[in-house]
Amino acid sequence: MPPITRWFVRSALVWLLLTLATGILLASGVAVRLPGTEVVVPYPTYLHLLTVGWLTNLIFGVAFWMFPRHTADHLRGSEMLGWTSYAGLNVGLLLRLIGEPALLAGAGGRTLLLLSAGLQLLGGWAFVLNIWPRVKAK
Amino acid sequence: MPALSVLLVRTALCWLAAGVAMGALLLSAKASPLPAGVFRLFHFHSEAVLVGWMVQLTMGVAWWILPKYSRLPERGPAAPVWAAWLLLNAGVLLAGAGRSVGASDGLVMTGRAAELLAAVAFASAAWPRVKAFGE
Repeated sequence: MPPITRWFVRSALVWLLLTLATGILLASGVAVRLPGTEVVVPYPTYLHLLTVGWLTNLIFGVAFWMFPRHTADHLRGSEMLGWTSYAGLNVGLLLRLIGEPALLAGAGGRTLLLLSAGLQLLGGWAFVLNIWPRVKAK
Repeated sequence: MPALSVLLVRTALCWLAAGVAMGALLLSAKASPLPAGVFRLFHFHSEAVLVGWMVQLTMGVAWWILPKYSRLPERGPAAPVWAAWLLLNAGVLLAGAGRSVGASDGLVMTGRAAELLAAVAFASAAWPRVKAFGE
């Protein structure tokens, strides 16, 4: 398993734990607050922790590992695009996790959300560009 | 990877690219003065990433890696999977784009029905291949 895949899959597992812990707190009616603030994690953030943090990280990581080889010299395509997709997805999600609740609480967060949007877009498109040539018939 | 899986996975990647672009616009709209109409993309974004991307990707990969038959065609008849591809993508367009542009409920329901039929078509092809290797 290549290093990028390990980062993707382990990050996916961490996001899954965070998602489920957040879900328990949300379901029990206990507010999920950022330390020292009145900021509450909203439902859309929770949903994206699951779909982006867990599902997408796991898919990206396993696809990078298991899809047909690119070429004999570059088995898994571009390492740089691979790491760009990893960083874009995960840093983007982290910024959303901070920025969206902060915005709702009136404590700023606009810049963080704009950065988050840009980074996740970059991460998604970097993955598509990198994996596209590896989606091929024998 | 068989040609049909290539088609399914590449179409899924197109939906991913479109879905994250819509998602980025939606998230940006929360933090900047983008037109309020951007929020109408929500339905298309959800349909694109959940059905167009994730469901279609799993179908494509499943068609590729599920146990094969010892006889030809080794992955079974391809016609139901072609039908699934057609119905699924028509469904995403009708249900997702339709809802975002304010189309009638009937059109959205037609899209959802197409997605259901896609799942039935795919399941009919995949079901017999869910078996032990060598069976």
